[in-house]
Amino acid sequence: MDLHNNSHPESGRLEQIISQFLLKSLHIILDSRIPSLHPHDRSGDFQSSSRVRKSDKWFNLVLGDRPAALDNLNFWQRNVMDPMIIDIILVRRGTTSSSVDDLYSSMADRTPIETVMERWIVQYNTQRVMAPQTGESSASCKKIYKKSTILLRSLYSQLRLLPAHRIFRQLSSSSQTYNFDIIYKVSSFCEPFSWSEEEMMKEYSFMPVEALPGHLSLSVTFRPSLSDFNLEPLATFPPKIITDYVGSPTTDPLRSFPSSDRGDRATSFPLKGIRPLISTPFQRPHSWTSGFHRAAPFMANQSLGGSPPAYRTSPMPYNFPHTPSGTYGHRIQSCRPPTHQRATGNDEYELSPPFSPSMSPSTPTYFSSGSPLQTRITSETAPVTIPFPKSGRSSRYLSPNFSDPSKNSLPPLSPKSTRHDPSSQESPSGIRSIRKPEALRAGELNSGIASHYSGHKILKDGKDDSGRFSGLLSSSGSPHIGFSRSSSRLSFQDDLDDGDFSCPFDVDDVDTSDSPNSQKLDGKKNLESTPHSLLMGKQSQDAAVGVLVHMLRTALPLQQDPSCYSSHSLRTDLDEGVATASGFFMPRKTADALEELRSYREMKDLLLSKSGTRVASKEEA
Amino acid sequence: MNCEVCQLKELEVEHFEIREVLRCILHTIVFHRALGLVRPKDIDLELFDITYVQCGDIEVEKKIDEKIEQFVSWVEKHPNKKSEICLSFYEVKSKHPSWFTNKIERLDWEQWHINLNVTQHPKPKAHSGKSHHSKIVVDPGESASEERSVRRASLEVSLREVLFQIIKFVNEKKDHVPPITESVIYFPYEIHIPRKFL
Repeated sequence: MDLHNNSHPESGRLEQIISQFLLKSLHIILDSRIPSLHPHDRSGDFQSSSRVRKSDKWFNLVLGDRPAALDNLNFWQRNVMDPMIIDIILVRRGTTSSSVDDLYSSMADRTPIETVMERWIVQYNTQRVMAPQTGESSASCKKIYKKSTILLRSLYSQLRLLPAHRIFRQLSSSSQTYNFDIIYKVSSFCEPFSWSEEEMMKEYSFMPVEALPGHLSLSVTFRPSLSDFNLEPLATFPPKIITDYVGSPTTDPLRSFPSSDRGDRATSFPLKGIRPLISTPFQRPHSWTSGFHRAAPFMANQSLGGSPPAYRTSPMPYNFPHTPSGTYGHRIQSCRPPTHQRATGNDEYELSPPFSPSMSPSTPTYFSSGSPLQTRITSETAPVTIPFPKSGRSSRYLSPNFSDPSKNSLPPLSPKSTRHDPSSQESPSGIRSIRKPEALRAGELNSGIASHYSGHKILKDGKDDSGRFSGLLSSSGSPHIGFSRSSSRLSFQDDLDDGDFSCPFDVDDVDTSDSPNSQKLDGKKNLESTPHSLLMGKQSQDAAVGVLVHMLRTALPLQQDPSCYSSHSLRTDLDEGVATASGFFMPRKTADALEELRSYREMKDLLLSKSGTRVASKEEA
Repeated sequence: MNCEVCQLKELEVEHFEIREVLRCILHTIVFHRALGLVRPKDIDLELFDITYVQCGDIEVEKKIDEKIEQFVSWVEKHPNKKSEICLSFYEVKSKHPSWFTNKIERLDWEQWHINLNVTQHPKPKAHSGKSHHSKIVVDPGESASEERSVRRASLEVSLREVLFQIIKFVNEKKDHVPPITESVIYFPYEIHIPRKFL
């Protein structure tokens, strides 16, 4: 029945109530199930905001901002007769045979498993032949509105009692990274569950609200138990300072960092990489889903055979870029792990053989960025690039087992270090500090939404990153590079929020002639000589990390040298901040370290010569 | 107007669980009857893996907490007793004013009966330093602890059932609910605490 045809003025009001009911119910369901739509603390949100939106006044339930996806519901407003079917889907990454393989296997290798946790059906059922309702229409509308309000209250409560809420809460509140995510799909039709699926589902139907000439119905089919799913956080390695890091002897300090322009790609939305893996059973136009992995296939099937007339769905997947940045970022998260999404953009990334699976997990990860170290030009010492993935979630970047970039057994990668990628790719030469603004721009160029997202998430990221940053900023020891798996919220934030960070590892070019001998030196000498090898630009990642670690370590003794600090103390200026002091300090430290190295060598040679002389003299005696 | 009555399933609770259980139930009921503009607030219980919704009104929160404290005081004086808390929604109606009477009458249009059986089980004994009693103490302590966790799990299931019961009742009975008044956030209600032995 077309309510439009009814000339009774109340029919328009009824239709308005019905369409707003559909919108509100979708808003409530998505708000309660999709973490990406409101990636922040939910408990006090509505309390703090005093602004009541127009949409909040409907049914007297303040829910806050409507997800942009609801804008796509316009067609439902045109034809309220269509049922609205909302699938809440649990996306999990399949696991390999062993946990070790899980760590090292590419996320792209794991087939995502989608399971419908809940299917909500909201519709306005009408009888085909209805006599127009006259009289008491206003009163009936009020009753309908009241009952709809109660029904939506029940829906709101019910959503929190169903098993899926636990998963939603887990994803929303925790800063950990999980091997699963929740996405949704809204459609005006649905593929029925298989027999086996139906066996596992339960159904609950709310009492329909009579809204003559039809009634509003709301029902849910849900899985009563989700304990069968292996829902667990991904293994993360908290940032850890390795105070006695020596570096793996198997690393080749002369190895170059593989060039990578992943930095430019990682922030893009990996539609391509996901597409083959996601099934898209739904091809009707009244359908859209969350997650980019559905976008392309959906767009490829825009046929309207059998679809309701008068309108096509707008290219809704392409509307996702217009969604709030938080949503966008979490779309990436929806396709966990994100390395899968980035796989297509990262195929060209090659790690040199020293990054072998046999390397210890504690070995920090070095990722080259573009043309890494050769062309660094700094005032005194060559910059030490610490390549990092565009996304903090890319396992390719994070694996300490460098031969397989997808291996994720690494300690968390410092997001600071990862931020150099876009900058380095933008301008391979020049000190990193100069490139930091470029990093932001690069990130923005690569993904405007990502930058928006990062801006949206700055505070949260800062909070999440606290543990990871500490390993780099506060420590004068190991620049332990940690991979942040905490949240996809950080995925773009890592790439872009690099403007203020003054890399302590910006070292000047030094004489690289000693590099062949650097490996022969032990301990501290190795550390002091490694800047040479780094400057050569051919150095294993972990060796580079080791160099940095030891640079910091060796900095301590140098600090005791009054000659080192005479200028340093003069320059210590609060206005200039630590960056200036550190920036001044680092070059001197390295130069002094080199001088000290040379002096040690001389001493060593002297001692050896003397011992040789004494032995000879003793023998003579 | 008829008064709909809902008898909720009895819950066996321990003393320290009373507050959480009652807050959960009372707020859930009030939320479904707060048809004015509300900002829902999700509250996660600490003792149970349950999230319930408050209507976000501070006055409601105060009143409920106040009544719960009164009930707790009553329970302390009457331990190990079954008790009933009645939450009733009413309308204020004035009787026909006359020369002699001008009564304002409260008519309950809905009553919720929350049945609690407050029990006090022995706490699991702490392992003391007395070695000669250690063997005796360990087993009862462990079994009491296990018993408590079993009771806790059972109570969580029952509490969930009660919440579903509330939602079901709220959905099935809507006709008796008075019309929404614009300025009113929630319907006037009263919480009755038992005053005598049951």
